[in-house]
Amino acid sequence: MSEAGDYAVLMHTLAHVDNEPPESLRDLDRKPAPWESSMQATCECLSWRGSLDNVERRHAEDELGETLYSAFPPHTRSALVVAHSLMDRGVISQDELQSKMQQVRARMEAR
Amino acid sequence: MSGAHDHDHAPIQVPDDVNEFEVLEIAIRELAIERGLFSAEDHRRFKEWAESIGPWGGSKLVAKAWTDPGFKKRLLENGTEACREVGIDWIDPTGEGTPSDYTYFYVLENTPEVHNVIVCTLCSCYPRPVLGMSPEWYRTPNYRRRLVRWPREVLAEFGLHFGPEVEVRVHDSNQKSRFMVMPMRPVGTEDWGEEQLAAIVTRDTMIGVALPQADWDATRAPSETAPVG
Repeated sequence: MSEAGDYAVLMHTLAHVDNEPPESLRDLDRKPAPWESSMQATCECLSWRGSLDNVERRHAEDELGETLYSAFPPHTRSALVVAHSLMDRGVISQDELQSKMQQVRARMEAR
Repeated sequence: MSGAHDHDHAPIQVPDDVNEFEVLEIAIRELAIERGLFSAEDHRRFKEWAESIGPWGGSKLVAKAWTDPGFKKRLLENGTEACREVGIDWIDPTGEGTPSDYTYFYVLENTPEVHNVIVCTLCSCYPRPVLGMSPEWYRTPNYRRRLVRWPREVLAEFGLHFGPEVEVRVHDSNQKSRFMVMPMRPVGTEDWGEEQLAAIVTRDTMIGVALPQADWDATRAPSETAPVG
Protein backbone atom coordinates (compact mmCIF):
# COMPACT_ATOMS: atom_id res chain seq x y z
CA MET A 1 0.00 0.00 0.00
CA SER A 2 1.33 3.45 -0.82
CA GLU A 3 2.22 6.13 1.69
CA ALA A 4 -0.38 8.62 2.89
CA GLY A 5 1.45 11.40 1.01
CA ASP A 6 0.33 9.86 -2.25
CA TYR A 7 -3.25 10.59 -1.23
CA ALA A 8 -2.73 14.11 0.10
CA VAL A 9 -5.68 15.36 -1.95
CA LEU A 10 -7.91 13.03 0.07
CA MET A 11 -6.27 13.63 3.45
CA HIS A 12 -6.96 17.34 2.95
CA THR A 13 -10.69 16.68 3.43
CA LEU A 14 -10.00 15.56 7.01
CA ALA A 15 -10.00 19.21 8.03
CA HIS A 16 -13.70 19.28 7.12
CA VAL A 17 -14.99 16.43 9.28
CA ASP A 18 -16.59 16.46 12.66
CA ASN A 19 -14.17 14.22 14.48
CA GLU A 20 -16.33 13.15 17.42
CA PRO A 21 -16.20 9.35 17.53
CA PRO A 22 -19.60 7.65 17.94
CA GLU A 23 -20.27 6.22 21.38
CA SER A 24 -22.27 3.26 20.05
CA LEU A 25 -23.55 1.75 16.83
CA ARG A 26 -26.87 3.50 17.30
CA ASP A 27 -25.10 6.87 17.26
CA LEU A 28 -24.25 6.20 13.62
CA ASP A 29 -27.92 6.25 12.67
CA ARG A 30 -28.39 9.38 10.61
CA LYS A 31 -30.12 10.58 7.50
CA PRO A 32 -27.59 10.49 4.66
CA ALA A 33 -26.75 13.76 2.92
CA PRO A 34 -27.63 13.96 -0.79
CA TRP A 35 -23.95 13.59 -1.78
CA GLU A 36 -23.85 10.24 0.07
CA SER A 37 -26.74 8.84 -1.99
CA SER A 38 -25.01 10.05 -5.10
CA MET A 39 -21.77 8.38 -3.97
CA GLN A 40 -23.63 5.12 -3.42
CA ALA A 41 -24.98 5.35 -6.96
CA THR A 42 -21.44 5.92 -8.24
CA CYS A 43 -20.23 2.83 -6.35
CA GLU A 44 -23.04 0.77 -7.89
CA CYS A 45 -22.32 2.06 -11.39
CA LEU A 46 -18.60 1.28 -11.03
CA SER A 47 -19.42 -2.25 -9.90
CA TRP A 48 -22.15 -2.78 -12.46
CA ARG A 49 -19.93 -1.66 -15.34
CA GLY A 50 -16.97 -3.70 -14.07
CA SER A 51 -14.52 -0.99 -12.96
CA LEU A 52 -14.58 -1.53 -9.19
CA ASP A 53 -16.45 -4.49 -7.77
CA ASN A 54 -18.61 -3.76 -4.71
CA VAL A 55 -17.02 -6.54 -2.65
CA GLU A 56 -13.50 -5.35 -3.50
CA ARG A 57 -14.48 -1.82 -2.54
CA ARG A 58 -16.00 -2.97 0.74
CA HIS A 59 -12.83 -4.87 1.61
CA ALA A 60 -10.74 -1.81 0.76
CA GLU A 61 -13.04 0.30 2.92
CA ASP A 62 -12.60 -2.11 5.80
CA GLU A 63 -8.82 -2.14 5.47
CA LEU A 64 -8.21 1.53 4.76
CA GLY A 65 -10.95 2.59 7.16
CA GLU A 66 -8.95 1.08 10.00
CA THR A 67 -5.58 2.41 8.81
CA LEU A 68 -5.07 5.37 6.50
CA TYR A 69 -8.60 6.78 6.87
CA SER A 70 -9.32 5.77 10.45
CA ALA A 71 -9.75 9.41 11.49
CA PHE A 72 -12.61 9.82 8.99
CA PRO A 73 -16.19 8.94 9.95
CA PRO A 74 -17.58 5.81 8.24
CA HIS A 75 -20.01 7.70 6.01
CA THR A 76 -17.12 9.50 4.27
CA ARG A 77 -15.04 6.42 3.52
CA SER A 78 -16.77 5.27 0.33
CA ALA A 79 -15.79 8.50 -1.40
CA LEU A 80 -12.24 8.32 -0.09
CA VAL A 81 -11.76 4.66 -0.96
CA VAL A 82 -13.26 4.91 -4.44
CA ALA A 83 -10.94 7.82 -5.24
CA HIS A 84 -8.04 5.97 -3.63
CA SER A 85 -8.75 2.78 -5.62
CA LEU A 86 -9.16 4.61 -8.93
CA MET A 87 -5.79 6.31 -8.32
CA ASP A 88 -4.17 2.98 -7.38
CA ARG A 89 -5.46 1.48 -10.62
CA GLY A 90 -4.15 4.37 -12.66
CA VAL A 91 -7.62 5.34 -13.86
CA ILE A 92 -7.15 8.86 -12.52
CA SER A 93 -4.13 10.66 -11.12
CA GLN A 94 -3.92 12.73 -7.98
CA ASP A 95 -3.29 15.84 -10.09
CA GLU A 96 -6.41 15.18 -12.16
CA LEU A 97 -8.49 14.69 -9.06
CA GLN A 98 -7.10 17.81 -7.45
CA SER A 99 -7.74 19.84 -10.57
CA LYS A 100 -11.30 18.52 -10.93
CA MET A 101 -12.00 19.24 -7.26
CA GLN A 102 -10.83 22.82 -7.76
CA GLN A 103 -13.18 23.21 -10.72
CA VAL A 104 -16.10 21.78 -8.75
CA ARG A 105 -15.32 23.93 -5.71
CA ALA A 106 -15.20 27.06 -7.88
CA ARG A 107 -18.59 26.18 -9.37
CA MET A 108 -20.10 25.64 -5.96
CA GLU A 109 -18.66 28.84 -4.51
CA ALA A 110 -20.09 30.77 -7.44
CA ARG A 111 -23.65 29.65 -6.81
CA MET B 1 -35.68 39.47 -16.49
CA SER B 2 -38.01 41.53 -14.39
CA GLY B 3 -36.94 42.40 -10.86
CA ALA B 4 -40.49 41.94 -9.59
CA HIS B 5 -40.75 38.85 -7.37
CA ASP B 6 -43.84 38.66 -5.25
CA HIS B 7 -43.69 34.99 -4.14
CA ASP B 8 -44.18 34.59 -0.44
CA HIS B 9 -41.41 32.03 0.11
CA ALA B 10 -38.30 32.67 2.18
CA PRO B 11 -35.12 33.73 0.39
CA ILE B 12 -33.08 30.85 -0.98
CA GLN B 13 -30.24 30.10 1.44
CA VAL B 14 -26.78 29.80 -0.05
CA PRO B 15 -24.52 27.63 2.14
CA ASP B 16 -21.59 29.51 3.69
CA ASP B 17 -19.24 26.54 3.47
CA VAL B 18 -18.62 24.22 0.57
CA ASN B 19 -18.70 20.62 1.78
CA GLU B 20 -15.43 19.04 0.71
CA PHE B 21 -16.97 15.58 0.53
CA GLU B 22 -19.65 16.86 -1.81
CA VAL B 23 -16.83 18.32 -3.91
CA LEU B 24 -14.99 14.99 -3.84
CA GLU B 25 -18.11 13.03 -4.80
CA ILE B 26 -18.87 15.25 -7.79
CA ALA B 27 -15.22 15.18 -8.89
CA ILE B 28 -15.04 11.37 -8.78
CA ARG B 29 -18.34 11.01 -10.64
CA GLU B 30 -17.42 13.49 -13.36
CA LEU B 31 -13.98 11.94 -13.86
CA ALA B 32 -15.50 8.45 -14.03
CA ILE B 33 -18.00 9.62 -16.64
CA GLU B 34 -15.27 11.39 -18.62
CA ARG B 35 -13.23 8.16 -18.59
CA GLY B 36 -16.24 6.22 -19.86
CA LEU B 37 -16.47 4.00 -16.75
CA PHE B 38 -20.22 4.60 -16.75
CA SER B 39 -22.59 7.16 -18.21
CA ALA B 40 -24.41 10.06 -16.62
CA GLU B 41 -27.64 8.26 -17.52
CA ASP B 42 -26.46 5.12 -15.67
CA HIS B 43 -25.87 7.22 -12.60
CA ARG B 44 -29.13 9.12 -12.82
CA ARG B 45 -31.16 5.93 -13.16
CA PHE B 46 -29.47 4.22 -10.25
CA LYS B 47 -29.75 7.26 -8.00
CA GLU B 48 -33.44 7.65 -8.75
CA TRP B 49 -34.04 3.98 -8.02
CA ALA B 50 -32.02 4.07 -4.77
CA GLU B 51 -33.87 7.15 -3.58
CA SER B 52 -37.25 5.63 -4.42
CA ILE B 53 -36.84 2.52 -2.28
CA GLY B 54 -37.26 2.26 1.48
CA PRO B 55 -38.42 -0.11 4.19
CA TRP B 56 -42.09 0.17 3.19
CA GLY B 57 -41.80 -2.84 0.85
CA GLY B 58 -40.75 -5.01 3.77
CA SER B 59 -43.34 -3.43 6.09
CA LYS B 60 -46.04 -4.30 3.58
CA LEU B 61 -44.85 -7.90 3.33
CA VAL B 62 -44.88 -8.38 7.09
CA ALA B 63 -48.28 -6.72 7.60
CA LYS B 64 -49.78 -8.83 4.82
CA ALA B 65 -48.28 -11.98 6.31
CA TRP B 66 -49.66 -11.09 9.76
CA THR B 67 -53.17 -10.79 8.35
CA ASP B 68 -53.15 -13.46 5.64
CA PRO B 69 -51.99 -16.94 6.73
CA GLY B 70 -51.88 -18.18 3.14
CA PHE B 71 -49.55 -15.36 2.12
CA LYS B 72 -47.42 -15.91 5.21
CA LYS B 73 -46.94 -19.56 4.24
CA ARG B 74 -45.97 -18.62 0.70
CA LEU B 75 -43.62 -15.87 1.93
CA LEU B 76 -41.79 -18.20 4.31
CA GLU B 77 -41.58 -20.96 1.72
CA ASN B 78 -40.36 -18.82 -1.17
CA GLY B 79 -39.71 -15.16 -0.39
CA THR B 80 -38.44 -14.36 -3.88
CA GLU B 81 -41.67 -15.57 -5.50
CA ALA B 82 -44.08 -14.21 -2.85
CA CYS B 83 -42.61 -10.73 -3.25
CA ARG B 84 -44.03 -10.57 -6.76
CA GLU B 85 -47.51 -10.53 -5.16
CA VAL B 86 -46.75 -7.08 -3.74
CA GLY B 87 -44.93 -5.86 -6.84
CA ILE B 88 -41.31 -6.48 -5.77
CA ASP B 89 -39.17 -8.27 -8.33
CA TRP B 90 -35.90 -9.65 -6.95
CA ILE B 91 -34.74 -10.94 -10.29
CA ASP B 92 -34.70 -7.52 -11.90
CA PRO B 93 -35.41 -4.94 -9.19
CA THR B 94 -33.73 -1.95 -10.79
CA GLY B 95 -34.75 -2.67 -14.32
CA GLU B 96 -31.04 -2.37 -14.96
CA GLY B 97 -29.97 -5.66 -13.43
CA THR B 98 -27.31 -4.46 -11.00
CA PRO B 99 -25.27 -7.56 -10.15
CA SER B 100 -25.61 -7.14 -6.41
CA ASP B 101 -29.38 -7.52 -6.60
CA TYR B 102 -29.69 -10.82 -8.47
CA THR B 103 -30.44 -12.87 -5.40
CA TYR B 104 -32.75 -15.22 -3.53
CA PHE B 105 -34.75 -13.72 -0.72
CA TYR B 106 -35.54 -15.50 2.53
CA VAL B 107 -37.90 -14.32 5.28
CA LEU B 108 -37.07 -15.45 8.81
CA GLU B 109 -39.93 -15.72 11.26
CA ASN B 110 -39.41 -14.68 14.86
CA THR B 111 -41.17 -16.78 17.50
CA PRO B 112 -41.25 -16.67 21.31
CA GLU B 113 -38.36 -19.14 21.25
CA VAL B 114 -36.25 -17.78 18.36
CA HIS B 115 -35.10 -14.26 17.54
CA ASN B 116 -33.45 -13.67 14.15
CA VAL B 117 -31.07 -10.90 13.16
CA ILE B 118 -29.27 -10.26 9.87
CA VAL B 119 -25.76 -9.21 8.93
CA CYS B 120 -23.28 -9.46 6.08
CA THR B 121 -19.83 -10.30 7.38
CA LEU B 122 -18.25 -10.44 3.92
CA CYS B 123 -19.25 -6.96 2.79
CA SER B 124 -22.55 -5.23 3.49
CA CYS B 125 -25.21 -7.09 1.47
CA TYR B 126 -28.67 -5.93 2.42
CA PRO B 127 -32.20 -6.69 1.14
CA ARG B 128 -32.51 -3.35 -0.65
CA PRO B 129 -35.63 -4.04 -2.71
CA VAL B 130 -37.60 -4.48 0.53
CA LEU B 131 -35.67 -2.36 3.06
CA GLY B 132 -34.12 0.40 0.94
CA MET B 133 -30.54 1.50 1.49
CA SER B 134 -28.75 0.11 4.53
CA PRO B 135 -28.15 2.20 7.65
CA GLU B 136 -24.61 3.34 8.26
CA TRP B 137 -24.04 1.15 11.31
CA TYR B 138 -25.02 -1.96 9.36
CA ARG B 139 -22.08 -1.37 7.02
CA THR B 140 -19.46 -0.90 9.74
CA PRO B 141 -16.90 -3.64 10.50
CA ASN B 142 -17.86 -3.07 14.14
CA TYR B 143 -21.41 -4.40 13.64
CA ARG B 144 -20.44 -7.04 11.07
CA ARG B 145 -17.66 -8.61 13.10
CA ARG B 146 -19.18 -8.37 16.53
CA LEU B 147 -22.72 -9.52 15.74
CA VAL B 148 -21.59 -13.01 14.77
CA ARG B 149 -19.41 -13.37 17.86
CA TRP B 150 -21.45 -11.64 20.52
CA PRO B 151 -25.00 -11.24 19.17
CA ARG B 152 -26.65 -10.72 22.56
CA GLU B 153 -24.21 -7.97 23.51
CA VAL B 154 -24.69 -6.16 20.20
CA LEU B 155 -28.48 -6.46 20.43
CA ALA B 156 -28.29 -5.06 23.96
CA GLU B 157 -26.63 -1.95 22.52
CA PHE B 158 -29.80 -1.48 20.49
CA GLY B 159 -31.88 -1.93 23.62
CA LEU B 160 -32.86 -5.56 22.99
CA HIS B 161 -32.35 -7.98 25.86
CA PHE B 162 -33.26 -11.67 25.64
CA GLY B 163 -33.17 -14.28 28.35
CA PRO B 164 -31.45 -17.66 27.89
CA GLU B 165 -34.79 -19.22 26.90
CA VAL B 166 -34.68 -17.30 23.60
CA GLU B 167 -32.29 -18.56 20.95
CA VAL B 168 -30.67 -15.76 18.96
CA ARG B 169 -29.94 -16.74 15.35
CA VAL B 170 -27.61 -14.62 13.22
CA HIS B 171 -28.06 -14.92 9.47
CA ASP B 172 -25.08 -14.01 7.33
CA SER B 173 -25.92 -12.80 3.83
CA ASN B 174 -23.87 -13.93 0.89
CA GLN B 175 -23.55 -13.14 -2.77
CA LYS B 176 -26.75 -14.94 -3.69
CA SER B 177 -28.91 -14.72 -0.56
CA ARG B 178 -30.64 -11.87 1.22
CA PHE B 179 -32.56 -12.19 4.46
CA MET B 180 -35.23 -10.21 6.25
CA VAL B 181 -36.75 -10.76 9.68
CA MET B 182 -40.49 -11.16 10.16
CA PRO B 183 -41.02 -9.86 13.70
CA MET B 184 -43.79 -11.11 15.96
CA ARG B 185 -47.05 -9.19 15.83
CA PRO B 186 -47.38 -7.13 19.02
CA VAL B 187 -50.19 -7.73 21.48
CA GLY B 188 -52.96 -5.14 21.18
CA THR B 189 -52.99 -5.04 17.38
CA GLU B 190 -55.50 -7.87 16.86
CA ASP B 191 -58.16 -5.72 15.18
CA TRP B 192 -55.76 -3.59 13.12
CA GLY B 193 -55.81 -3.49 9.32
CA GLU B 194 -52.83 -4.08 7.06
CA GLU B 195 -51.96 -0.41 6.60
CA GLN B 196 -51.97 0.34 10.31
CA LEU B 197 -49.85 -2.73 10.99
CA ALA B 198 -47.36 -1.84 8.26
CA ALA B 199 -46.68 1.49 9.97
CA ILE B 200 -45.23 -0.16 13.08
CA VAL B 201 -43.01 -2.57 11.12
CA THR B 202 -39.97 -0.34 10.93
CA ARG B 203 -36.60 -0.93 9.26
CA ASP B 204 -34.83 -1.99 12.45
CA THR B 205 -37.52 -4.55 13.32
CA MET B 206 -36.88 -6.27 9.98
CA ILE B 207 -33.10 -6.24 10.48
CA GLY B 208 -33.75 -7.76 13.90
CA VAL B 209 -32.29 -5.07 16.16
CA ALA B 210 -35.70 -3.86 17.41
CA LEU B 211 -39.20 -5.15 18.10
CA PRO B 212 -42.39 -3.56 16.75
CA GLN B 213 -44.33 -1.51 19.29
CA ALA B 214 -48.08 -1.01 19.09
CA ASP B 215 -47.74 2.58 20.34
CA TRP B 216 -45.11 3.86 17.93
CA ASP B 217 -44.26 4.06 14.25
CA ALA B 218 -41.34 5.69 12.47
CA THR B 219 -43.41 8.59 11.17
CA ARG B 220 -43.99 9.91 14.70
CA ALA B 221 -41.41 11.79 16.68
CA PRO B 222 -40.61 9.81 19.83
CA SER B 223 -41.33 12.95 21.88
CA GLU B 224 -44.99 12.70 20.84
CA THR B 225 -45.35 9.34 22.57
CA ALA B 226 -45.32 8.21 26.18
CA PRO B 227 -41.88 7.73 27.77
CA VAL B 228 -40.43 4.23 27.32
CA GLY B 229 -39.38 2.12 30.25
